[in-house]
Amino acid sequence: MIQEESHYLNTFEVDEPLLSLLAQSGLEQGGDYCDLFFEDTSFHTLNLRDGRVASGGFHIDHGVGIRVLKGEKTGYAYAESTDAASMRDAARVAAGIARGTLRPEAGQEASRPKPSGRPNPRADRYPMEADWRTVPSATLAPWLERLEEKIRQKESRVAKVMASLSFQVSDILMYNAYGEMKYDTRPYATLAVSAVFTQNGKIENKSASRSWMCGAEMLTESLLDRLAGDVVSGIDARFEARRPKGGKMSVVMGAGASGILLHEAMGHAFEADFNRKGQSVFSDKMGQQVCPKGITVVDDGTIRGNRGAVNFDDEGVPGQRTVMVDDGVLTSYLHDRISARFYGVAPTGNGRRESFRCMPLPRMRATYMESGDAQPEAIVASVKKGIYVDEFANGQVKIGEGDFTFYVKSGFLIEDGRLTRPVKDINIIGNGPQALADIAAVGNDLKVDDAAWTCGKGQSCPVSCGIPTVLINNLTVGGE
Amino acid sequence: MKMNKDIQTASPLLTAQETDFAQASLEQALRLGAQHARITLNKSRADLYGTLNGSLDKVTRNVDRAMTVSLFADGRFGSFSTNRLQEGQIRSFLEQSIAMVRMMAPDPCRSLPAPTRTEKQAQEGTELGLYDPACMQIDGDEKRETALGASVFGRFATEGLISEEGEYSDSVTDTLILDSNGLRCRHCETSFEYGVEATVQDTDGNRYSDYWWDAAPQRVDLVTDGCAEKAFRLAKAQQRPRRIASGKYNLVLDTECAGKLVSPVINALNGYAIQQKNSFLLDKLGEKVFSDKLVIIDAARQAGMSGSRLFDSEGVATQEGPVIDHGVIRKYFLNTYMAAKLQMTPTVEDITRPLLLPVGPAADRASILRETGEGVLVTGFNGGNSNAATGNFSFGVDGFYFRGGEILHPVREMLITGNFIDLWNHLLLAGSDIRRAQTRLIPTLAFEGVDFSA
Repeated sequence: MIQEESHYLNTFEVDEPLLSLLAQSGLEQGGDYCDLFFEDTSFHTLNLRDGRVASGGFHIDHGVGIRVLKGEKTGYAYAESTDAASMRDAARVAAGIARGTLRPEAGQEASRPKPSGRPNPRADRYPMEADWRTVPSATLAPWLERLEEKIRQKESRVAKVMASLSFQVSDILMYNAYGEMKYDTRPYATLAVSAVFTQNGKIENKSASRSWMCGAEMLTESLLDRLAGDVVSGIDARFEARRPKGGKMSVVMGAGASGILLHEAMGHAFEADFNRKGQSVFSDKMGQQVCPKGITVVDDGTIRGNRGAVNFDDEGVPGQRTVMVDDGVLTSYLHDRISARFYGVAPTGNGRRESFRCMPLPRMRATYMESGDAQPEAIVASVKKGIYVDEFANGQVKIGEGDFTFYVKSGFLIEDGRLTRPVKDINIIGNGPQALADIAAVGNDLKVDDAAWTCGKGQSCPVSCGIPTVLINNLTVGGE
Repeated sequence: MKMNKDIQTASPLLTAQETDFAQASLEQALRLGAQHARITLNKSRADLYGTLNGSLDKVTRNVDRAMTVSLFADGRFGSFSTNRLQEGQIRSFLEQSIAMVRMMAPDPCRSLPAPTRTEKQAQEGTELGLYDPACMQIDGDEKRETALGASVFGRFATEGLISEEGEYSDSVTDTLILDSNGLRCRHCETSFEYGVEATVQDTDGNRYSDYWWDAAPQRVDLVTDGCAEKAFRLAKAQQRPRRIASGKYNLVLDTECAGKLVSPVINALNGYAIQQKNSFLLDKLGEKVFSDKLVIIDAARQAGMSGSRLFDSEGVATQEGPVIDHGVIRKYFLNTYMAAKLQMTPTVEDITRPLLLPVGPAADRASILRETGEGVLVTGFNGGNSNAATGNFSFGVDGFYFRGGEILHPVREMLITGNFIDLWNHLLLAGSDIRRAQTRLIPTLAFEGVDFSA
């Protein structure tokens, strides 16, 4: 949600002459770029436990981060108060990177970006119809209580329900040494539920969540019904599920949350800081075929209301849709201003950060693979022996080696082209370049997942992921 | 508690004005309608000097100050925090907080800890000897030179080294807790760290990375020399991995990553998991669950040792003693709230400094490999997770195949899969090779017959 410029200047008690002065003081020791990132965040949470919303709270975070660049080198400091003296101190500390640089850099000088004008509220990708900051807390708790009711109405084996509603609204003001000013208001809201089930002395758990950049209008009976349905669906299979026999096999990734594959196997390795430093398995693969022809992989900051949406990234670069792999060929890394300058390309709007306490880094937004032309049912039917997976907990990658993993909460064995026995709690491991080469079929059913995905890279960052149904041969599945 | 006679008492980070502000905020919360309140004031400063390939790459300074307020009003509870600590703003913050607490459902289990349980010795914050005034005295030039001096990039025979990313950092944190029952305790700690990641490339263009680090609460104890070289050697050692067949192997787990298989066990003892019936150790207190070789204690209050604390986030005094004693569960971690919910006796909210005791005579990794004979030495994890309710786990791992106690070749793209109760009943050996820098004191371990998928 973008408000009037004065709202942001008033929130941080600054004006444009002061911003300019600070940016210039950041350059006093020889730096060649300086930017300021102001943030005012209020984060609220309400928790339901044992049938009652008996705990919650809010947290206020306010400050400004000041970054000075000298070539690709970074000085960074922040102040939790936006009084002029505190900000000048932070600027002085950040400016020290220029003095501390021991070797002059011979990197390419990027041309000065053209100012792209002030933000346009009509181009907002995450408007709030009902601003969380104006919604009385007392009206929110009943949503959690009704969610538990709906779950218990659907399933008698529920022993415990834990649900939480969390939302934050951040006012952001950015200013840089080119005189560009950008501002933004970013809402993030998540409704999450986890239930514990008991059956014949056995315990199982299941979770579901939905998360968007939007206002309190997200709270609807329909949303409660979908979450309640998600958390109880498949619980019979969860109790029946067994570990499969481990080893190499074909894996069919169900549409949606299986996008974690792209996030881990490709997305991180395409983040340009890892490539600039020579650490990524894809460091020398630009312009090369990295997937079978026909595959297109995108990182998109333009999906309305998505957790990865950005009107502007945290360096003031407009949000955009970046095609990383086009028809199987690696066409772009994900850039912040530093890596863009290093590679002599335009930044891609991927400079993101957890808060004003952190310097921006190349980070993913919504990462997904475009649909192919195969029918999902035909993909499953084509597998003689393998595994179908559709619910995940987490993933990880080793950037240099390209080895990635993701943890599967539930899925099914595929035997002679049919889904048979349920499986659960298995890790799957593969190597990024090899797994991409082993993609054998891409379905026509792209789905971007709306769960509360958060990426960790030293800093937490809200993201999302998506994929159509995909068949990959030769992944290693954990088992007994 | 082992105390250090040479404890530094120089002024830590929080000023007298700030501690008075915390006290005044506590009193104001009570005046505004809270029946009880707890105030936690945190202040920290951290500097970081990062290098890339022998050149300075980044310099950062973090200075934080925030106050967290736990409010108990009309039988209700809420937790709030802010970093806007100006006098004029705190009253409004507290008023809004109390208004929100009053919207919560009543919860009779919420209360402050009884004064008999809270910490009494931690008055200055320096009692554990974890504060080094040098942190405030080292200038930026020295920090920069420390970071640059630790690099080995381009200095000697580091063939194949294509990236070396190092970070020197130092920090000081100061925490004060006050409550309306008269609690006042403080913890101040410094930390000096150096870590470096080396990436090497073999002649086929394959990349391998590894990491080494050191850390200490006292500057004089930080050893940066050799870290970069060790990271380089660890990365080189991974070159030319081979695959092994899926099957059962003995697992030797290096001390650097052994905590990964201990944390889920500790988490299963936490009151939140127990109360929500989301623990594979539910209803196991006092029962023998694991091998009698397994002994884990909480070494919480060791002076001068990283990770030690005299109190938890409620101000409750930490307790040294057995957690798992020869396979028997001796303790659940129950804060005041969870103990009331479960109608059990409260302990502390979590383990502070877990120490897994050796099995047999003192042993390092080499002797454990010899004793184990053949299997897979795991030196790193790559993702994976576990099911809190069942204890089933599956993790990505990499490391080395060994036979006759000798490391033969690296292996990677492997998974280990099993159940924690079964795994810890197959504990063969636990070493005595914990490093001083570690805060979770888990030595090299050996397990028999673990399922590997490869």
